[in-house]
Amino acid sequence: MDEGGDEQVLLELKTLWENKLLQSKAVEGFHTEEQALLAAQQQQQQQVQQVQQVQQLSHPTHPTQAQQVLLPPQQQQQAPQQQVIVQDSKILQHMSATGMSAAATAATLALPTGVTPYQQLITSQGQILQVVRAANGAQYIIQQPQQQILLQQQMQPGGVQAPVIQQVLAPLQGGLPQQTGVIIQPQQIVLAPGNKVQGNAQVMQAAAMASQPGQAATAAQVQQAQGAAAPQASVQAQAQQQAQPQAQQPPIMLQVDGAGDSSSEEDEDEEEEYDEDEEEEKDKDGGEDGQVEEEPLNSEDDVSDEEDQELFDTENVVVCQYDKIHRSKNKWKFHLKDGIMNLNGRDYVFSKAIGDAEW
Amino acid sequence: MAYQLYRNTTLGNSLQESLDELIQTQQITPQLALQVLLEFDKAINTALANRVRNRVNFRGSLNTYRFCDNVWTFVLNDVDFREVTDLVRVDKVKIVACDGKSESTQVK
Repeated sequence: MDEGGDEQVLLELKTLWENKLLQSKAVEGFHTEEQALLAAQQQQQQQVQQVQQVQQLSHPTHPTQAQQVLLPPQQQQQAPQQQVIVQDSKILQHMSATGMSAAATAATLALPTGVTPYQQLITSQGQILQVVRAANGAQYIIQQPQQQILLQQQMQPGGVQAPVIQQVLAPLQGGLPQQTGVIIQPQQIVLAPGNKVQGNAQVMQAAAMASQPGQAATAAQVQQAQGAAAPQASVQAQAQQQAQPQAQQPPIMLQVDGAGDSSSEEDEDEEEEYDEDEEEEKDKDGGEDGQVEEEPLNSEDDVSDEEDQELFDTENVVVCQYDKIHRSKNKWKFHLKDGIMNLNGRDYVFSKAIGDAEW
Repeated sequence: MAYQLYRNTTLGNSLQESLDELIQTQQITPQLALQVLLEFDKAINTALANRVRNRVNFRGSLNTYRFCDNVWTFVLNDVDFREVTDLVRVDKVKIVACDGKSESTQVK
């Protein structure tokens, strides 16, 4: 193109474009690891206070494929990865179709049959957390506690032991609020499934349980030590003392009510807005005699589910051309061609698509 | 001019974002960016027609349908997309389809 554009600029455009495509994870990268690194970099930019897992990349029809993402250690040029964090803690995610560390393999073998891990997180202490998808689609996070780490500022690697599945945590179900969480020492990863799970994103949140006074400091420390979590996750502090030896002082729970409560504030705001709207409506109604009760009645006729649907984040979209659209009573038949689909975050193409639907 | 339909895809959006970045740093002009997008439209239409050769079947329930300006827009729920190799399930999908029969060059 000789429209005054530099070749250099075109090259830059190409690079930018490819990077974005790789970052979107909707297409297959040229190099899987490079893609993982880019994806990790992108997610590392999220809030430090939250922990976030890598979104599932494996194809849903291949549940047996283990998902492991390898994140380079912090010493390398590339910035620390998603889960990150702070200084000593290192979260290794190894991404390969077949490679699994010995510990991970043992962990997988120890899993009940029918359950295959699709994500594994290995902390620097060797603790292995596995996100597992059971046959029924429910997701479980299995914590395999390692040797306990004393409550100190320093991180003490617990070494990689043969992981033993001690307990299966509460199942993660999309859209359902979770009540249980696992509190681990500040150096460990805390899993507290959030209220809503979006798509494949796992919610992990750090809850501090420290023997040291000054909970805010500890919380901040833990938050620093973790990556980003889903925004809707709620902080639930639950003590699971079973395998964790107590520190000299009793653990301090993260206080979420009282001064630290944020939920009531939101409710108050919502209530205020709602009250204002009500007042406005009443003012309008007051001007029309005899219709004060009718308007609210009629307003119930509206079946507005459109708003809910259009506010969706990752909407699956198919862009294509139609050859023929056919309808018989309420049975529709679609003959489509040359389409690009984005389903569950991934991109597909087709030259022809035939579909059936009932309205 | 080919359909600008494919600009709202991962490919198209990432291209537009990249172009916007270059415009912001004033490395290209908006006019050039527009030319690039038009080239993209041509290229993607050609590529889809010539280089893609697979078939997909799908089944679901139709939530809404709209036909306006010769463009069909459907919203389906609980859909299975089946290819020979695999199956993809979604709760909700929006299908936007332009007229594929004629050689018309409508915008979007």
